[in-house]
Amino acid sequence: MIQTLDITFGYDSKDEVFKFPNINLKAKEHLLIVGKSGIGKTTLLHLLAGLLPIKTGSICINSTRIEDLSQKKLDAFRGEHIGLVFQRNHALKSLTVAKNLQARLFFSRKPINYKRINEVLTTLDLLDYKDKSIQTLSTGQLQRLGIAMAIIHNPKLILADEPTSSLDDENCENVMNLLLKEAQRHQANLVVITHDKRIVSKFSKVLML
Amino acid sequence: MMNVWKISIDNIKHKPLNFVLSVLFLAVGFALLLGVEELNMSFKSQFNKGLSGVDLVVGAKGSPLQLVMASLLQIDNPIGNISYQEAEKIGRNRLIEKAVPISYGDNYNGFRVVGTTDAYASLFHGEIVEGRKPIKPFEVAVGNAIAKKELLKVGDTFKSSHGVVTGGHLHDKDLVVTGVYQATETVLDRLVITPLESVWEMHHHEEKGEIHHEHKHEDKNEHIEKEITALLVVFRSPTGLLTIPRKINETTNMQAALPKYELEKLYNYTGVGVTIISYIAYLILSLSCFTLLLSLFKMISERVFDLALLRTYGAKTSELLKMVFYEGIILITIAITLGTLISQIIVLLVTMILKDDYLQGLSFDMPYLQFFKIVFLLLGVLFIAVLVSIIPLSKIKISKVLNHEL
Repeated sequence: MIQTLDITFGYDSKDEVFKFPNINLKAKEHLLIVGKSGIGKTTLLHLLAGLLPIKTGSICINSTRIEDLSQKKLDAFRGEHIGLVFQRNHALKSLTVAKNLQARLFFSRKPINYKRINEVLTTLDLLDYKDKSIQTLSTGQLQRLGIAMAIIHNPKLILADEPTSSLDDENCENVMNLLLKEAQRHQANLVVITHDKRIVSKFSKVLML
Repeated sequence: MMNVWKISIDNIKHKPLNFVLSVLFLAVGFALLLGVEELNMSFKSQFNKGLSGVDLVVGAKGSPLQLVMASLLQIDNPIGNISYQEAEKIGRNRLIEKAVPISYGDNYNGFRVVGTTDAYASLFHGEIVEGRKPIKPFEVAVGNAIAKKELLKVGDTFKSSHGVVTGGHLHDKDLVVTGVYQATETVLDRLVITPLESVWEMHHHEEKGEIHHEHKHEDKNEHIEKEITALLVVFRSPTGLLTIPRKINETTNMQAALPKYELEKLYNYTGVGVTIISYIAYLILSLSCFTLLLSLFKMISERVFDLALLRTYGAKTSELLKMVFYEGIILITIAITLGTLISQIIVLLVTMILKDDYLQGLSFDMPYLQFFKIVFLLLGVLFIAVLVSIIPLSKIKISKVLNHEL
């Protein structure tokens, strides 16, 4: 469950203030946020993830007002309840695919469940790459690993930043289906920001910035 | 099980070249400092062990350092002889606990033959492990290193030759081995010990032979005064140290040398070289510490993206600091282990070379004080690196980093 109320954001160095519309998502509901480049889509996503501080307003995720949390508690909260999928997918280069997932669970203070890791990797067709270095993965495989990293710890909120922007139609379809399926499987809210019109039809709730 | 240690180890494995170079640089500095200190300490301790509690050496006038080196450490040529009667008079002083006469000037295959009393071996805590002490003239007990090198055992006989190095003319009389000393890691290991009378009779006999040869029985009652090379003195109380040396130097034709003082002078001369090498080693170590600081910083700046990512996973700043610390501690531990290993190999090589030349058991003790001084220095550098890392780590703008805006 996510609720935002009159949130604004401004960079310290600039006078410009971004105002964002309110969001109200019930359990298992998904939201697509669309808008032109530079309108503040990624900023909104980072505000929801607590990666940027709001200037005014309130963000409530699963009954927790994240602006009230200390940095330490916010980091812990994010690690436990939020999964992030980035536009360009990131993982620790020094670790293998499986170790990246283990590290994700470790820092989320979740028990390291090898069975679950294997399940997620199987679902995302990455099991064969379990012990491979990140550098050996293709763009598509990295994208899927990004999704695995976002869902391995059973988050209640999955935030995805332009997950399909650099993908062809087929991969775009696959990635979106995966994200929706995994969100459903973990009974999580999925919030996707994009300017990719190909995925609009997959969401019942769309927010235009 | 995943933990910060494992991530740190994988981080190191991911970029091994940087790590190996930092380790090598640090290890060389460490090895040099430790090795130089160990050699320096061991030589000093070896020399001090060689003094074996002797407070004063009385001998012929000349260089006091030469007298100490020759009579006590047996590594220089004797200056000359002194009268045994005069030396005995000194030895009877009530301030003297022990006065050990020694007379030498012969060798057996390069090993010095020392005429002395029972008290000499006791200065080095030398016990007979095989046979018995030499009692009669021309009986000898040999040091442990000699017994091994020359394969000598009780009952064997050999001829000594004149001079303290090989090549002198052989004496006529055979010396009989009656005992072998245990290894003491002192000068005793490379000496042939015999009663004073052996040396006197050997030379008296030969001088008599020469006189006979030259003067054809001219004088049958010739008298040769008994001489010794030096008298080793142990004082009963420090008062002896204040009065006796001065008295000897001023009122006799002998000299009194203070071994500790003379060796201290020697250390001061040789210490310059040791100090220079130590400074070079400290310079290398300082550069290594600087490299360590830089490599830890470089690690943070190169991995700012990974560190930001870890923060999104829920990693605390303290866990990221731990990662920096662990990588540093792994680097330092390997460098210290490698450095210690290198220094011990150097010391071992030096020991092997010296053992061949010097033929005396050498003991090398790890200079723990120096070791811990360097270890604490390195830990201090690591601690500073971690402290300084708090600022950039806590100021990582995750949002900007992940957006590739930094």
